[in-house]
Amino acid sequence: MWRAMLTVSALELRTRLRDGTAIVIAVIVPVTLATLFGLALGGDDPPLRATVGFVDLDHGEFPASVRREVLASEELKGAVTLRDLPGEEQARRALDAGEIGSAIVFPAGFSQSVGAGRGGDVAVLTSPESPLAGVVAGAVVDRISAVVDARTLAVHAVLLAGVPGERVKELVERNGAAGPALTLAEDPLSGGKVDLSVYYGSGMAALFAFFVVGASFRGLLTERKLGTLDRIRAGPVAAWVPVAGKGVVGFGLGVVSVCVCWASSTLIFGTTWGDPVAVFAVLVAHVLAAAAITMLVASRVRTDAQADGVIMVVSFVAAFFGGSLVPLYDLPEPLRAVALLTPNGWTSTALTELAGAGAAGSVGAVAGPIGVLCAIALAAGGTAVAGFRKGLLL
Amino acid sequence: MTATLACEGLRKRYGDVTAVEDVGFSIAPGQAYGLLGPNGAGKTTTISMLVGLLRPDAGTVLVGGTDLAADPRRAKARIGYVPQEIALYPELTGRENLRFFGRLFGLARRGLAGRIEEVLDLIGLSDRADGRLDTYSGGMRRRINIGAALLHRPDVLILDEPTVGVDPQSRKAILDGLELLVGDGMSLLYTSHYMEEVERVCDRVAIIDHGRIIAEGTRRELIAMVGSADKIELVLDGDVEAAYAKLRTVEGVIEAARTGAESVRLIAEGGRYLLPALISAVEGSATVTATQVIEPDLEATFLHLTGTSLRD
Repeated sequence: MWRAMLTVSALELRTRLRDGTAIVIAVIVPVTLATLFGLALGGDDPPLRATVGFVDLDHGEFPASVRREVLASEELKGAVTLRDLPGEEQARRALDAGEIGSAIVFPAGFSQSVGAGRGGDVAVLTSPESPLAGVVAGAVVDRISAVVDARTLAVHAVLLAGVPGERVKELVERNGAAGPALTLAEDPLSGGKVDLSVYYGSGMAALFAFFVVGASFRGLLTERKLGTLDRIRAGPVAAWVPVAGKGVVGFGLGVVSVCVCWASSTLIFGTTWGDPVAVFAVLVAHVLAAAAITMLVASRVRTDAQADGVIMVVSFVAAFFGGSLVPLYDLPEPLRAVALLTPNGWTSTALTELAGAGAAGSVGAVAGPIGVLCAIALAAGGTAVAGFRKGLLL
Repeated sequence: MTATLACEGLRKRYGDVTAVEDVGFSIAPGQAYGLLGPNGAGKTTTISMLVGLLRPDAGTVLVGGTDLAADPRRAKARIGYVPQEIALYPELTGRENLRFFGRLFGLARRGLAGRIEEVLDLIGLSDRADGRLDTYSGGMRRRINIGAALLHRPDVLILDEPTVGVDPQSRKAILDGLELLVGDGMSLLYTSHYMEEVERVCDRVAIIDHGRIIAEGTRRELIAMVGSADKIELVLDGDVEAAYAKLRTVEGVIEAARTGAESVRLIAEGGRYLLPALISAVEGSATVTATQVIEPDLEATFLHLTGTSLRD
């Protein structure tokens, strides 16, 4: 049966290459559009301005040190503003209202607790609307964590050495163990930058994946019209052969298409989409989901012309709400929730995360979105097979 | 002897509409079987069930003894299906179309090229095999359409209206080819709007109407259903009145009538064999200058049974 499937695949591939649709839809149009968008709108995004809320309920040396460090940082100058807020509740309200992009909350007694070697918790409030502010707050808290860990360890060591409790703080600081002094990373913003060329490159890849794989499943309906599908089904071949034969080619061309978009974006704009293995995994999962959805469309419509129309509508709706045409953070809050109903939304979220994380990204970091994309593929594919059984298979 | 193709009790309903009800027949090896019926009678639905495109609501299909429902791939390997439409790829050449279906149906690569040549030769398209299908005439496409069903050497060829829209030359070539195949031992199930094709090609015929087979048998058996009397038209020279009186008394003549000053119409059993006796009977009174024997045909039977013309 594999030979029969390969025969169908070979004809499908030959047809797609011969009529030019494979090259045009899979390569030329998405790469051209992504490049044009990248050239016109590319650059660091979001704009390098963020307001970080600062809630100091501790009034001790740690919050003071953080404030000092942030204000002194050359990289943050003009980009990050600290805004004092009286409490966590007010910080949440300001965050929800979009007045601040993130907030750092020092609880009362934090400095004292750390000084006594008991450690402490700093809360960070973030909003997806301002990834930059989240990155700054995260970088600050990472440094605080490191300092707190060092201080806690030093205090424990001194206590174990038999030093009286009232002398511990003085001894630790005098001997150079990391005190409350805090140094920010060289460029705390490095993780927050995602070039718009990456957004548009990945967006076009995600959008055109639907068209590329959809063309193969649409071909099933064309074959039904020609009568060749019935002729194949009347032959000694398994019922799944024509669907699988075409699907394999559509999926393969879809993967090639998204990879070409990725490569062209990287080469033309010199940007990175993040860890290559993780990016590839996300793209393959997206193509799988797109294949299943377009297969579902083909199983539910009657003609190839209907399939064209429905696939186009589905593709653009998923692309718009899923952040393939407009970055997710530019969408109003309700629409961002809708994004999670589309494969493009999960793909966009995963690729943004990987691009933002740079070399630190990994497959594990985007396992959630990949899992959701696979689940979408499974649900849509299963429903499609049931539909095919009623129309194209039996 | 195991029938090449046999079906029994086939039924297909779409909601309240019964497309096919209790259809059954059997085709022996080397037999050409015709399925006649007006449009909408259930021919294509029946064929779709026979080739595995439609699952019957009831009934069985056996291909060479293999149950189509139980082992569809084995059963289908023995069937060559020629659909009503040209079910081929117009952007491919005739040879490429045959190669695709040959590979798809499991022919070994080594023997495929040779088999394609054989089929091209059989359908008379060896010299045009490398032209694109969309440059072929309607008749040539029909012939390739049949050729694609022959590649895997099926035991039975099922043809659904194979000559629709073809020129007389191609029709003749198709029918000649089919007669050759039957002569070589292949079984045939043939549906057509053209009565003369069915009469020429098929040994047995079933007439289907409103989804049911209403008559089945050899051509002669079917015709006998509406009576076997022939119509004989005679033109006479001489004493026509005296000759007419003599003709009425000839054994086998059922009815006689004067149809003109010099012409007589007789209704008789076995008209063709009765002619010498008729000519002898009028000797001395008149001379027979022209004769025409009109035998009852399938068309008449069809009209009688279905109340409609085949081309309606």
